Amino acid sequence: MDETAVVAGETEVATGADWNPVERVILERRSVRKYKDRQVPENVVRRILEAGRFAPSAGNAQPWKFIVIRDRAMLDEMERDVVRLCKVFKFFLDWRTSPLGRSATWLMAQTFIRIKRNQLHPIPFGAITLIAEGKLRAFHGAPTLILLLEDRRGVSRPQVDIGCCGENIVLAAQSMGLGTCWVGFVELLKYGLKWRKRLGIEFPYRICEGICLGYPVGNPQGMIEREVMDVDWYEDGAMRKVRQGGDDVTV
Amino acid sequence: MSQFSFLERLSVPTYDNDEYATTGRLFIDHEKCNGCGVCSQICPGKAISIRGEGKAKKAYLDEDFPQCMSCNDCAAICERDALKVVVAYDFGLYYKKLNRGAFAPPRRY
Ligand SMILES: Cc1cc2nc3c(=O)[nH]c(=O)nc-3n(C[C@H](O)[C@H](O)[C@H](O)COP(=O)(O)O)c2cc1C
Ligand code: SF4
Ligand code: SF4
Repeated sequence: MDETAVVAGETEVATGADWNPVERVILERRSVRKYKDRQVPENVVRRILEAGRFAPSAGNAQPWKFIVIRDRAMLDEMERDVVRLCKVFKFFLDWRTSPLGRSATWLMAQTFIRIKRNQLHPIPFGAITLIAEGKLRAFHGAPTLILLLEDRRGVSRPQVDIGCCGENIVLAAQSMGLGTCWVGFVELLKYGLKWRKRLGIEFPYRICEGICLGYPVGNPQGMIEREVMDVDWYEDGAMRKVRQGGDDVTV
Repeated sequence: MSQFSFLERLSVPTYDNDEYATTGRLFIDHEKCNGCGVCSQICPGKAISIRGEGKAKKAYLDEDFPQCMSCNDCAAICERDALKVVVAYDFGLYYKKLNRGAFAPPRRY
């Protein structure tokens, strides 16, 4: 038998044990934002999509559809349209730079931010500006883009399923030495008719997310530091706030 | 006590207002940095610039309003282990971060 195989109920994990290969892939995955021109072989992309196909989904609805785009001219055109849309947003919403004047734009932005609190969170808001100014690339020059479409008839919350599916894709790619980056900005393409028509996207499908894929320049992968998250932990009739370094607080 | 007041729920901060907004902050060790510029190329917030000539060429976090989202992707790609995030971004009020502690690498429990 394969010695790395995990046997349900029998594999022990000692405190401080080395990372297993799956943990390593998960912990070392970083978003890649600079790619080589070299195209990813077709069989590798197909294999990666297999990982997506076997993701869990509510009610086994599998509410996704994949569109693979590897046509350089098409990718460039999509990127140009994302930039154009970012420029429109920037024109109406960025009070720091808009020629419409600071107060008018500020009021408009404050209104829209309240309506679209997630889409116009400060981070994507800043990224819209960077993309509009040509400082940040939407698809990072990757040779392959996988569009994840959401089947809106999915069970309960199809977007959660898309998240599971996409993460399977990203981790499978990572395990094969590829780099990936989620591209939330493909969402902008759903606002215009052009790409919906060109890609034949109709109800019940809707563009949900994108993942760009390719061979990274340099060595972007590796473990890093992130903020520790508090966890509420109920056990033996008490609640603990699990914090960093074991200094838990029993409540 | 609730971690989120009603007022905070209603107030969306103006992002460029220093009173509420903290961007991510880096520690950059200029002894180790050789100004290769890789970090600045891959930074999703375009928050790092390379300044100086020859041996004095080094990475700097932008002073004005660096759009650093404390992702540490720069730390991952730097061959010289010259930089990392020391302060996480927090935009305050409605977008303030909750239930988080200091930075730590993956922990082998
Ligand atoms: C749903 C989703 C959408 C994202 N969209 C973008 C994007 O449009 N552009 C980008 O550069 N990164 C995007 N990212 C990548 C995040 O910025 C990244 O995952 C985060 O900063 C953590 O860094 P890491 O992936 O290197 O660990 C996205 C990630 C997710 C999960
Ligand atoms: S990648 Fe490292 S060595 Fe290169 S400029 Fe950035 S901090 Fe300096
Ligand atoms: S932590 Fe991320 S956003 Fe901040 S400077 Fe580094 S790469 Fe840029």
